[in-house]
Amino acid sequence: MSELGEGLPVYRPPLNMGALFAEPDVGDVGELGVTVRYLTPHNKWSIHSEYQDNLFMLSLSRGGQTIWMSDQDAAKVGVADNDWVEAVNRNGVVVARAIVSHRMPEGTVYMHHAQDRLIDVPIAETSGKRGGIHNSLTRILVKPSHLIGGYAQLSFAFNYLGPTGNQRDEVTVIRRRSQDVEY
Amino acid sequence: MRVMAQMAMVMNLDKCIGCHTCSVTCKQAWTNRTGTEYVWFNNVETRPGQGYPRRYEDQEQWKGGWTLNKRGRLSLKAGGRWRKLATIFSNPKLPSITDYYEPWTYDYATLTDAPAQEHTPVARPKSLISGRDMKIEWSSNWDDNLGGSAATEKHDPMLAKIAEKVRFEFEQTFMFYLPRICEHCLNPSCAASCPSGAIYKRAEDGIVLVDQDRCRGWRMCVSGCPYKKVYFNHKTGKAEKCTFCFPRVEVGLPTVCAETCVGRLRYIGLILYDADRVLEAASTPDEHDLYEAQRSLLLDPHDPEVVRAAERDGIPRDWIDAAQRSPIHALINTYRVALPLHPEYRTMPMVWYIPPLSPVIDVVRETGEDAEDTGNLFAAIDALRIPVEYLAELFTAGDTVPVDGVLKKLAAMRSYMRDINLGRDPDASIPAAVGMSEEDMYDMYRLLAIAKYDERYVIPPAHAEQAHSLEEIATECAVSEYGGGNPEIFGEGSGTLTPIAVENFQMLKDRQTSDTLAGPSDKASRVNLLNWDGKGAPSGLFPPRPPGPPAEEVEDR
Repeated sequence: MSELGEGLPVYRPPLNMGALFAEPDVGDVGELGVTVRYLTPHNKWSIHSEYQDNLFMLSLSRGGQTIWMSDQDAAKVGVADNDWVEAVNRNGVVVARAIVSHRMPEGTVYMHHAQDRLIDVPIAETSGKRGGIHNSLTRILVKPSHLIGGYAQLSFAFNYLGPTGNQRDEVTVIRRRSQDVEY
Repeated sequence: MRVMAQMAMVMNLDKCIGCHTCSVTCKQAWTNRTGTEYVWFNNVETRPGQGYPRRYEDQEQWKGGWTLNKRGRLSLKAGGRWRKLATIFSNPKLPSITDYYEPWTYDYATLTDAPAQEHTPVARPKSLISGRDMKIEWSSNWDDNLGGSAATEKHDPMLAKIAEKVRFEFEQTFMFYLPRICEHCLNPSCAASCPSGAIYKRAEDGIVLVDQDRCRGWRMCVSGCPYKKVYFNHKTGKAEKCTFCFPRVEVGLPTVCAETCVGRLRYIGLILYDADRVLEAASTPDEHDLYEAQRSLLLDPHDPEVVRAAERDGIPRDWIDAAQRSPIHALINTYRVALPLHPEYRTMPMVWYIPPLSPVIDVVRETGEDAEDTGNLFAAIDALRIPVEYLAELFTAGDTVPVDGVLKKLAAMRSYMRDINLGRDPDASIPAAVGMSEEDMYDMYRLLAIAKYDERYVIPPAHAEQAHSLEEIATECAVSEYGGGNPEIFGEGSGTLTPIAVENFQMLKDRQTSDTLAGPSDKASRVNLLNWDGKGAPSGLFPPRPPGPPAEEVEDR
């Protein structure tokens, strides 16, 4: 770990998805929507899918999958608060409702971790199948520190490769979709 | 002077993390039944935001609370008797369900019963009012964490009042959480609004309740409350409100919202107040004087005159002791860091708040200065992230002077304690600058930062001699008759209600928490093995052995 320079948390600049994976550049607006950086932070109230099906917690939030967007990005694609949007990239499709807030920086969207796919998730226009959850747009990227083995917790286990920050460094193209959703 | 006691609460907004544990536990305990699906006795609002119900603070629209009429006398903003009689069948100022939110559930049955199909089944939202599919358009906490700012925050009634434009830009974002319960006011406008006289304020502890037998469902109380904390149960047709968890408070337990508060920001205690001067205080002509007027109503429990008057007026001795130890008295009158919510409604609310001390804006930090240095902090009080004017609109009817004072005290406490925690000499000029002694400042720090459970909740149990008015706790639950006496009214399968009297509760609690296994410890015949770890023989397990011949001595090995 020390040889890789990751003994302590280190800043790594975001990957240039355009150059690496032929995704559009962040900030581009096209007919398919606006390209934004996609982050999947943890929820305020739960660890992963805890409470995501609890009726009280759903009544205290928006009652379904949501994506937080900034005012400016929402304006670029004509999205108002609580409109259905689709977020697409090479890995998958997510259908959610937008939460538009001045609290979000322009160029970044948040989709909170593990919102429940069984609660209020309609069929996606893009694929014709049901949209996924936050991980539909992320992909496992193995990095050298994942291949270190045999040191206590740094040993292979289920989803061992899954949760590190480098997988959450994605871009996605978000657009306003038809507001008549089918389930 | 007529001394009465009231259970009051103070919430420290510096500590509220917006987790909503208070809302969920209260709902689970009290409003988890048909008719109250949309009701949250405790709710937590993100400010700036519209609140729940939407824009409830706009009293020009909703006409809640009191106002002074042309002759300077107090009258209900929604109108006096004639107006109420004229609108009694159709109250025009009632919030509709969309102002609260249309409660919903999900079609969970689809998830288990759906036939094999191409797409995984999903639970769609269904309205709990109409039973039909619905799109979720509003909830009880829609603008949580500033969600929907362009559409919603701009409608925050408090923002309309502050002079400088608050810019909704990323770099100027500010927010805090405001948890609210019924204020259990000294001058409740809900009680005054009821045509049937169904709402009453209890004499022994000041808790305001709706008598479910007398309530006729006129709903004038819903409009009358400026905080919109009386709700209409659409199944029973009666009004309901936060009860300050009186069954718990009567046995000395804190309210459910306070007990479960993760941030440990709530304080509950007794306040002695002068009941004779409430009307005069509420009628104070200038709104800005209402905070001081209410504070002057709250009596000093250490003053021997007050103690004598309290005893004369029938307040039990242990209640007077509890009032002396009350954290509420400390926060409101000794340290003076707590402020009422919307005193301009003239209801004399009894749940007060300590305003949040927000980060000093980056101007100070960017110049390389230490933002928490006393001098910088004091100078920057007016430039804190959360505009002082916004806090003033909430807590002091727009007067920024008291809010400034409180924020300076909190800032001073922070600087003073930093010196102590870093091992430097405490600087006595810091508390002196805000008019406090070093000891007071340290005590305030202890109360605000590290007070333990029994220092935060100083709740004297109710008295058996007042049992007549407390008979509800020993007999039936006040709402058990409704819904046809159906036990399901408290949630599926919650079972029959077991009445517990005050004395039994205390005895059971002592048995469970005492250090001895047998209780009472002098009675050898009763043994409670619940906490027995299996080792040794707890006293009382076997009958006492008659004294026999002494055992032979064992040689040391």
